[in-house]
Amino acid sequence: MGFLDATYAALRLLFSADPELWTIVGVSLSVTLRAMLIAMPVGVGCGYLLATLRFPGRRALIVVIQGLLASPTVVVGLMLYLLLSRQGVFGQLNLLFTQTAMVIGQVLIALPVLIAFSLAAIQGADPRARETAVALGASATRVGWTMLVEVRFALLAAVCNAFGRIVSEIGCSLMVGGNIAGVTRNIPTAIALETSKGDFAQGIALGIVLLVVALGVNSAFAFFQGESRR
Amino acid sequence: MKLLAVTALSKSFRERRLLAIDELSLSAGERYVLTGENGSGKSTLLRILAGIDAPDSGVGHFGKRRFDWSPYPDWLRQEVIYVHQQPYLFHTSVVENIAYGLRARGVEAGERERLVAAAIAWARLGHLLRTPPQKLSGGERQRVALARAWVLAPKVLLLDEPTANLDAESRQQTIDLVQAFCGPETTAVIACHDRDMIALANRRRLHLVDGLIQQNSTPTL
Ligand SMILES: Nc1ncnc2c1ncn2[C@@H]1O[C@H](COP(=O)(O)OP(=O)(O)OP(=O)(O)O)[C@@H](O)[C@H]1O
Ligand SMILES: [Mg+2]
Repeated sequence: MGFLDATYAALRLLFSADPELWTIVGVSLSVTLRAMLIAMPVGVGCGYLLATLRFPGRRALIVVIQGLLASPTVVVGLMLYLLLSRQGVFGQLNLLFTQTAMVIGQVLIALPVLIAFSLAAIQGADPRARETAVALGASATRVGWTMLVEVRFALLAAVCNAFGRIVSEIGCSLMVGGNIAGVTRNIPTAIALETSKGDFAQGIALGIVLLVVALGVNSAFAFFQGESRR
Repeated sequence: MKLLAVTALSKSFRERRLLAIDELSLSAGERYVLTGENGSGKSTLLRILAGIDAPDSGVGHFGKRRFDWSPYPDWLRQEVIYVHQQPYLFHTSVVENIAYGLRARGVEAGERERLVAAAIAWARLGHLLRTPPQKLSGGERQRVALARAWVLAPKVLLLDEPTANLDAESRQQTIDLVQAFCGPETTAVIACHDRDMIALANRRRLHLVDGLIQQNSTPTL
């Protein structure tokens, strides 16, 4: 089958409400959205605390987190696999090859991105914002909330960046998810499988969906970054 | 009547001693104009009085209550308001900016709206309510910041060069607002270089030289 035929077949698949294809898309979105729901408050919260509190080891911690930004997702997958496998510390939980394992993996991948970006966002905020909130009598919690609202566009950019990273990540999902059809098969793992089987149509169709999602998220990222600089 | 007083206040940056004030006392019903050369420490002094920065040492009294900066007490924050030379407006709306301190004090919604409306009328901001705060001119921002402070009815108002970079008209408006702000129970310290504040009634001069305050006892004309 040539590339053109495959692309034609892919478009047919996309518009034919093919249940298998949309199940895969559903797994991807559901896993990534759940991971984001968990990672967002934790990541932004840690970023805020790192920007605000002074404690011994803070600089070292920031360096480590920035290093983790570049951690290969297969390595995260490997570590998680070792922890979740039968012999692992969390072996009894029977989480290996479940969506929960994928969610955990994606949370771990998203966290450094969210922490590092929200740290930078809050450090980049105008110091007068905090001073003004304090001078107007706000409590520590209110000051924190005000700061997050003031840098909201930079935070949204962080969220888009993290989302884009985990929705397209394959290494960790493959290792701890196991690419089980209808359960843990998401867009990236399905593309890899279909392509290796020679079924390019399915792969291209899923690739288009992923591209649209990634493009949408990246445009949002660029937009929010622009807004946050104004 | 003495409202706010500080004694033995000192502040250094690295080797350089910026402030060394034995005694500074501010009386209710007076306005003080704080002058001094660039870098003499006017902003630093106001920020310390407002609890935004801490001095190296010093003790304060508010009325009869003693306080220091470790940490600056919350009850005093309710009484003292500092306004930056270029005020920062939150990226929300003019109304939300003015309501900010009221929300922080837990004023309930009905009362809050009433007070915000009064502040808007006081600073004549009615026509600017739909403008995003970042789009306001310098003079307009200054008026929003003053309204945001006024609505809290602070006992001590600390203004950092409120008329710098303003044209004659905005300047006059700001001076009028500052004048209208102050009552017999309150005091204000206004840092400035020039003679902008000459029109202010009951004005006393505080002059900062080499970290020392020269406080003259009689109102200047
Ligand atoms: N955080 C800081 N670290 C080091 N030096 C500082 C710091 N803050 C202020 N200074 C120095 O303290 C001095 C006084 O600053 P300050 O802003 O109080 O002066 P000012 O009287 O308000 O001047 P201006 O009229 O220009 O506003 C300046 O020389 C400034 O460089
Ligand atoms: Mg200054």
